[in-house]
Amino acid sequence: MLVVDNLVKSYGKFKAVDGLSLDIGEGHIYGFVGANGAGKTTTMKIIAGLLKPTSGKVMVDGTDISENPKAVKRKIGYMPDFFGVYDDLKVTEYMDFYSGVYGIPKPERKKIADQLLELVNLSDKKDSYVDSLSRGMKQRLCLARSLIHNPKLLVLDEPASGLDPRARVEMKEILKELRNMGKTILISSHILPELAELCTSIGIIERGKMVISGTVDEIMRRISHGKTLRVKILGDMEPAVRFLKEQPIISRISAASEFIDADFDGDSDVLADILKNLIKNDIRVVSFTELEKNLESVFMHLTIGGVQNAG
Amino acid sequence: MLANPVIEKELKTKMRGWKSPALISAYLCFLGFIVLLFYLSSRESARYSADYFNPRVALELYNSIAMLQFFLLLFITPAMTAAAISGERERQTLDLVLCTNLSSSSIVTGKIVVSIAHVLLLVTASLPILATVFLYGGIRITDLLLLFGFYLLMALFMGSLGIFCSTLFKKSAVSMIVTYITIFCLISGTPILLAIWHVFIMHNQNAPTLYDAMSFMFSNPVFGFSSLFEGMSRGNMILEIFSMRTYGMPQTTGNFMIKPWMANMAFNLVASVIFILLAAWKINPVKRGLFIRKTEAQKANQLKNQAV
Ligand SMILES: Nc1ncnc2c1ncn2[C@@H]1O[C@H](COP(=O)(O)OP(=O)(O)OP(=O)(O)O)[C@@H](O)[C@H]1O
Ligand SMILES: [Mg+2]
Repeated sequence: MLVVDNLVKSYGKFKAVDGLSLDIGEGHIYGFVGANGAGKTTTMKIIAGLLKPTSGKVMVDGTDISENPKAVKRKIGYMPDFFGVYDDLKVTEYMDFYSGVYGIPKPERKKIADQLLELVNLSDKKDSYVDSLSRGMKQRLCLARSLIHNPKLLVLDEPASGLDPRARVEMKEILKELRNMGKTILISSHILPELAELCTSIGIIERGKMVISGTVDEIMRRISHGKTLRVKILGDMEPAVRFLKEQPIISRISAASEFIDADFDGDSDVLADILKNLIKNDIRVVSFTELEKNLESVFMHLTIGGVQNAG
Repeated sequence: MLANPVIEKELKTKMRGWKSPALISAYLCFLGFIVLLFYLSSRESARYSADYFNPRVALELYNSIAMLQFFLLLFITPAMTAAAISGERERQTLDLVLCTNLSSSSIVTGKIVVSIAHVLLLVTASLPILATVFLYGGIRITDLLLLFGFYLLMALFMGSLGIFCSTLFKKSAVSMIVTYITIFCLISGTPILLAIWHVFIMHNQNAPTLYDAMSFMFSNPVFGFSSLFEGMSRGNMILEIFSMRTYGMPQTTGNFMIKPWMANMAFNLVASVIFILLAAWKINPVKRGLFIRKTEAQKANQLKNQAV
């Protein structure tokens, strides 16, 4: 449905997007994760036809965006990260305006608008002025607006940013509904766990480059060989660090002020032995746990790695 | 034209509420007041003279109102369009329109048409007042139509200049200032250029001819406008200042084929088209280079497509 091939966007010498490639199949939900300034918005703007790439190719449903931007724009619903609304316009008129922009004939407009406002739970705000809506409502209205021409592909740039927890849940419910409607969705966020339960695939972007990309399970599998042990110690940590370093199964150690993280490869048997020996050596262990590998820690792991490599 | 959703939306919001009707009413009251003053004063002076009514008064009135509206257009039109695009950028609504398949030229023309319609509405609404001069004769209906045509093209020019500036600059304030400076230069810069040319290059030989004046000032709206009143301007201070005589030229343009207002109207039309095209090109986010047509890759691709 969406194929991005070796996309580059340079601002002078700086490359905001640096050789990014993507392939999202029809009906998939692709989560696009990255720290601030990673290049998510830039990529999405290029896909939405709002920015000209320095090089590279974007194909939507088999059509090259540089060759036929109008046809591609017809297939994309885009929701920017920041947007404004016109003052002096009512919700229904707002929807009517964008229907007109997409050339939807007048008689059909009202029905479409009603359906979409129903979908985003704004039916009771039909006659309000758009600039009087709360932020969450505006965001939902903008989502409804991006659906007005029934696009196959949705490009949503942080649709849940700036929303309170309740509104986030609501937004997620709406997105699930869209998923059930069979839309292909590219959605960006800073927060991986939020995407994990929604998305079929995930890509992590760092400094304009794709660090890792694949289905949620695949990524978990690729990361989770190599587990992490977290040990909390009372008193001097030095002997504990020295002891852990001597263990052959432990590959890497990082000591923080309160705990020690150690990457290891082995089973519970080995772990039990390590704990036994720690206590034998008079080290006062408070807790000793194997860290749950969730997407959040994968994300931190990967992106911090990226910064270290670059620095 | 009304199928343009931008026009439809802008008309809806601009005409809503009390502001527009209030503005139009205030303007008409103001004009009505001036007219009243004119006629009253003429009655007053008629008491002390033999004629009961001097038809010159009607002519004077026509000239004054025409001039008033000229300056109104000059000052208001740029203000309405010079923030059109930059304002949308500032309010972050531009991307939402640009990501649709509405063409950038529809956006630009929509904005211009609405702004012009808005100012011309003021002018049109005043037509009945202006038409009272027909009661006294001295003005032909063609004069009035020509005046209106001149206004239209001038508003178009001011509007497209403003739009162009608003696509050029990110900040509305900057766009506004540049637009007004440009207009100021057209009005006062062109006669200065003419004077410089006359003094330093022609060494003050003969007085500049109308042809010379037009070569320098064809783009000067005031120059074009005042030539509309050739032969009628006597007695009107401001029209006088801008009339030919001030530039040391014969007062009438005589039998010279092209009149300054023609040159000015032609200029306004051509410049507007250029500005609108440039503005549409400028807001298109995936524009091609102006001079580089297609990259090699695109050409190859096209060939491939043709082969298939
Ligand atoms: N017009 C521009 N000129 C120069 N640099 C730019 C421009 N737009 C973006 N950048 C740079 O490109 C990089 C990527 O920005 P982008 O907005 O795509 O990041 P992002 O992943 O969306 O970040 P965030 O999570 O904060 O939204 C940033 O370093 C930014 O400074
Ligand atoms: Mg962003």
